[in-house]
Order: sequence, then C-alpha cells, then structure tokens
Amino acid sequence: MLIIDNLVAGYGKVKVLHGISIMVPEGKVVALIGSNGAGKTTTLRALSGMLKPESGSITLGGKDIAGLTSHEITRMGLAHSPEGRRVFSTLPVMDNLLLGAFPRLTGSRHKGDVDGDINRMFELFPRLKERRTQLAGTLSGGEQQMLAMARALMLNPEVLLLDEPSMGLSPRLVEEIFVIIERLKKANMTMLLVEQFAAAALEVSDFGYVMENGHIRTSGEARALKNDPAVQAAYLGGH
Amino acid sequence: MQILMQLIVSGISVGMIYGVIAFGYQLTFSTSKTLNFGQGEALMLGALVGLTTINFLIGQQIGTFWAYVIMLPVVLAFGALQGSVVEWLGVRPAMRAKSEAGWIMATIALGIIFKNLAENIWGRDALKFPSPLPEASLSFGGIRIQPMEIVVVVGAIALMLGVEFFNRRSIYGKAVVATSNDRDAAGLMGINTNRIITFSYALSSMSAAFAGVLVAPVTLTGATMGAVLGLKAFAVAIIGGLSSGMGVVIGGLILGITETLTGYYISTGYKDVPGLVLLLIVLSLKPSGLFGKAAIKKV
Repeated sequence: MLIIDNLVAGYGKVKVLHGISIMVPEGKVVALIGSNGAGKTTTLRALSGMLKPESGSITLGGKDIAGLTSHEITRMGLAHSPEGRRVFSTLPVMDNLLLGAFPRLTGSRHKGDVDGDINRMFELFPRLKERRTQLAGTLSGGEQQMLAMARALMLNPEVLLLDEPSMGLSPRLVEEIFVIIERLKKANMTMLLVEQFAAAALEVSDFGYVMENGHIRTSGEARALKNDPAVQAAYLGGH
Repeated sequence: MQILMQLIVSGISVGMIYGVIAFGYQLTFSTSKTLNFGQGEALMLGALVGLTTINFLIGQQIGTFWAYVIMLPVVLAFGALQGSVVEWLGVRPAMRAKSEAGWIMATIALGIIFKNLAENIWGRDALKFPSPLPEASLSFGGIRIQPMEIVVVVGAIALMLGVEFFNRRSIYGKAVVATSNDRDAAGLMGINTNRIITFSYALSSMSAAFAGVLVAPVTLTGATMGAVLGLKAFAVAIIGGLSSGMGVVIGGLILGITETLTGYYISTGYKDVPGLVLLLIVLSLKPSGLFGKAAIKKV
C-alpha cells in the first residue's frame, strides 16, 4: 500500500507538484492520467527518490519514504519502470534482469527464488527469452519496454510504478502490454500506472486520478471516471 | 630490422604502463564522468610506499623476489585507500554541488599536496627500487628484453583482465557497468551509486599504484616520477577513447612505440612530441578517441 499525502516537488525554483494526494491500496491498480506536462512523470520520480520532494509524505507499507535516496526506496520494495525505459544498453537482457534483483542478490532484500522469477519473466515476456543473450541496446522499442517492466518486477516489489509503458509502441504492442498489465493485476500486483492512453488505463485500473497542472483535478473509481462526461471530453476523446 | 624490433619491444612495455594508468582514468570516467588528475601522483605514492615496504621486508632477511610478492597486496590496498580519499575529498563535494569543473581543480590540488607530502617523506632524489628478477637482459634472436619488462606486460594485462572478469561475472561488477550506463536507472535497481563511484576511484588508484611498482624496478622512483607518466597516460586515454578499455591498451602501445622510435630515429629530445601531435590529430578528427563511442550531450 502506497499513500501520498500533500506532495510538493519540482525542479529548482519551478514547482511542478502543488500538494497532491494519491492512495494506492494493496493489490489494486491505480491509473494516473492527464495531459502532457501535468506532472505525472514528476510524481513517479518524486516517489522513487529520483527527485527529492520539498514537502509532504509518502508512506510505503507504513514507513515514510519521502526524502530517501532511490536505492534506499527500491530496497524497501518500490519498483519503478521509468519513462524512456532506461535499460542498460551495453549489458545483455539476462544481466538487466539480474540487476533488477540486485537488492535480493546482495542481501538487502529477501532473496527468494531469483532463477525461478527469471523463468516467470520469460513466461510473461516470451520475446525476452529469445533475446536473453542479446545486448539490451539492440532490442526494439517494444522489447526494451518489456525488459524495463520485467527488470522492475525482478525486485519482487510491494508496489510497481509504470511510467507510460505504451509510449512509442505500435497499437498491437500497446495491446500486448495492456494484456500483461491485466495479468499482473490478476496476480495481485499493486500498481500505479501513468498513461496517455487514458481509456485503456482506466479499463485495467480499479481507481483513477486525473492530474492537471500539478494538482489532482478529480479522482474516483476507474469505471465512474470513464463515464464522467468532463473526463471523457478532456481526456478520452482522442483515444 | 633487428633494431626496429628491439625498439618496438621496448615500446610495448612502456606502452603497457601508459595503458594501465589510462585504464584507471577510464574506470572513474565511466561511472562518474570525472577523473583523477592526480593519477600520476597515485602511481608515485604507490611506488614509494612499495619501496618502503620492500626495503623493510628485505631488512627482515626476506629475499627480494618474495619481498616483492608480499609487498604487492600492501601497495594495492594502499592505492585503493588513497583513491577513496581522493573521491571523498575532491570529487564528491563537487558532484554534490553539481559543479562542472570543481573536481578538476580539486584533484589537481590533491595531486600537488601528495607530491609535496612525498618530497617531505622520501626526499627529492630519485631512488633505486630493488628488482625482484635478475636485471640482466634475456636475448630472443638478438632482441634483448629485461625480465622485468615481461612482468610489466603480463601484470598489466592480468590487472585489466581481472577487472573485466569482475565486471562480467559478479553482480557487483554488473552494478558498476549499470552505473556507467545510466546512473539514475542504476539507483532504481537499489544500487548505491555513490558507493560504486567511490569504488571506481579506489580501483583506479589501485591500478595506478600497481603500475607504479611494475615500472619502478625498470626506472627509478621519486616524488616527481608521476607527473609525466600521468600526463602521457592522459594523452593515451584521449587517443584510445575514455569509454573503451580496449582502446587504452592500444592507445598506450601506439604512444609507447612511437616514443621509442622517435627517440632512436629522430632524437630523444623530440621523444614526447609525436604522442602529443597524435593527441592533437585525434582530438580534431575524432574527439571521442580512436575506439570511443561518441557521447551525445543532451541539453
């Protein structure tokens, strides 16, 4: 469970988030939608410690993680599949996956069955299995996206943040990614999903939050938001 | 022809030393985009600490060869510690302040301090370093090679292969490579990238200290031995490319061999010129180095 309360963050003097509050309940999927520049990616960056929040609290499993560094937050069980995929391009697919399990392999997180989880990832993303010895930089965009998601999952996270998993992918691949998100949801993965494809995001989610200029404009059950005329007009028309 | 071969062979062992020091530049540059301009001083300190250690051991009635072997881990540990200090005092504050050039000034300043320190401890004169192997040259078809020159080449290659093996096989080595690839993304893997950067500095100075005790029995040691070697290795790192481990070895060999050739065929007075000319040519034609990947600076 992830609770964000009155979070303020920005870059230098430019404030991007003006006190936002979001709750991601255990085992649920929450969609964060909004237009470009609304602050969705900044929210995720502040959650995972890539950006230091100015104020507000972020509670992960009962502990306040606001202001910790990203490696500390990751070790506490928050995985972030970042915008732009950010795979380790000079390393093979297999090493990227192992690095996702770095805290488990180095004793800062319960180890569990790392090999078994790699096989689970190969089952979830069969293309990665075919490409497992290939350097990540040589993968296609869709494959890199799958790798970024699989790498984040290798943490065995309490909460998974997904930033624009559909960005730059062909419609067929977008569909494939959403099928995988659906499967993760069935396996009770707690997720906060940032998406431009608002309709598809709300479809797989339990709850939704609509962001505008660094504020939460409206929120509620995903189904209700989908049928809200104001939300439809602003965000669902195009897709 | 025989003279040419002789010059090339001598150039190779000099070149490998440049290569190892340049390899050290590359280690820290890849993880932090910074490097230690006091790398030559790290080499000098390694050699002098090695000298004191080996003389102490010889004083304990240990033979020179074994004294050298026992000295190695002491020097490597010292180098690692010295590198960590440089990172902690000189580089980390500048990186925290997001200063573009602070680390340059800080590492140069630390280098000067280390040199002064060494002058006060070991004096200003060049000192003889006991050779663990016979100094008489071996002859291979008329080409003379000092046994220590072979050790230089083998030792340098062993060090670089060791680091490469660590990077490929261990999860910590992979964490170093991940940090070089994308520091923020490495942090998201739960990797403490500050610690990785300290480690790369430790490894970098350790390589320099190792180069110091490899070269010391062939040349002489002294507080000033590092400056020129550090600078030439910097040229090698630029020629070979700061992003390529293979590049620094080849860059080192190119510089080592051109130097000995120029020294013989032109004049020892011009020995240092061709390397620097080569540096200027590479910088103007392929600024990322002969083997380097072009870096794209995102604005």
